Amino acid sequence: MTPVQAEGADVAQAALGDALAFERLYRRHTLRIHNLARRMMGAQEADELTQDVFVRAWQKLGTFRGESAFGTWLYRLAVNLILERRSWWALQRSRLHGDTEPLDRMATPPTRPDLSLDFETAIATLPPGAREVFVLHDIEGYKHREIASMLGISAGTSKGQLHRARMLLRSALK
Amino acid sequence: MTLLMTDPWTDRLSEYVDEELAPAERRELDAHLATCDECRTTLSDLRQVVNRARSITDATPSADLWPGIAARLTSEPRRAGLLRQVVSPTGAGWRVTLSIPQLAAAAVLLIAVSGAVVWLVQARHSPDELAQEDSSRPEAGPGVTMADFADAPYDAAVADLQRVLKEGRERLDTATVAILEHNLAVIDQAIRDARAALAQDPSDLYLNSHLVAARQRKLELLRQASALVVEGS
Repeated sequence: MTPVQAEGADVAQAALGDALAFERLYRRHTLRIHNLARRMMGAQEADELTQDVFVRAWQKLGTFRGESAFGTWLYRLAVNLILERRSWWALQRSRLHGDTEPLDRMATPPTRPDLSLDFETAIATLPPGAREVFVLHDIEGYKHREIASMLGISAGTSKGQLHRARMLLRSALK
Repeated sequence: MTLLMTDPWTDRLSEYVDEELAPAERRELDAHLATCDECRTTLSDLRQVVNRARSITDATPSADLWPGIAARLTSEPRRAGLLRQVVSPTGAGWRVTLSIPQLAAAAVLLIAVSGAVVWLVQARHSPDELAQEDSSRPEAGPGVTMADFADAPYDAAVADLQRVLKEGRERLDTATVAILEHNLAVIDQAIRDARAALAQDPSDLYLNSHLVAARQRKLELLRQASALVVEGS
């Protein structure tokens, strides 16, 4: 059985309620999902977000029709959930603090000392809009029109935010 | 007041890196880069950022998150939601449709299970060995769980579920019934193959585990399909 077939079988089993099969899917995809959550929302949010992603995937597994790879479907679900939380957190910040920029620039301590601290830390300190576009474009490989659709912005704004992020990250590599 | 002059091309350098400039703009920027040290330096820096991002490695979470997820799976209302996804109204009542890719994927797994059993039988027994009559039944070693062919409770459970499925099959759409019947046929063949192989070597752990797995899968598949029939009634 090929890995693709094995994953398809696990998806089918999990959709019928097999938690062991769903655990195998979790083990196969958690690394990528957790890193996406960490880079988009910060280390403090990553664990809870990752759990929320997989719980939502469990709930919605019956809607997966196999038209794309399971990983692609799961990843898109994760991006949507993370962006929902981003909107919620932005709303909370605006209610508590008039100016969110100082909070947005606070450094997020890395969770692993053996990480490349400078670059990852620098990503975490980017302003939210620039960080999201940079992660989605330069790390995750989305195109600007896709990012624009996800974030509810124009492709031109996406390009501007990406350039802003890259210019800010130059110093992290010096 | 001193005006800080900014190079108008600076803000276009990311597009240059990503090859998103129109040909005419690209030619203009190429000409500018030939004369502007600062832009060339910035361009080099931006390329380094892009390359660094592409080579970024994923970090393992500091803790295993599965226990927390597993606990929430048992408390999340999922099964009813799943049924709402697969049950749809028809003129005569309700029909139950399972996703074809999901059932097909399950069939692949079942084929793999039965195929593994067939392979194992062929690999472990030469035609001459299979032709020999072995009158002595090997003793099971310690820790070997022998598959019980005469499992009355299992057979009774399967019979009950098959009766439910037979009586309610009109509630399942044609494609779903076809796939379910195919899956059951594959499992039954896997069970027959395992039993035949175990008749030659009852203590074989691998064959025993495959027989148990095949029987469990048959029971689970029948249970799930019957539950859908009952829920749809």
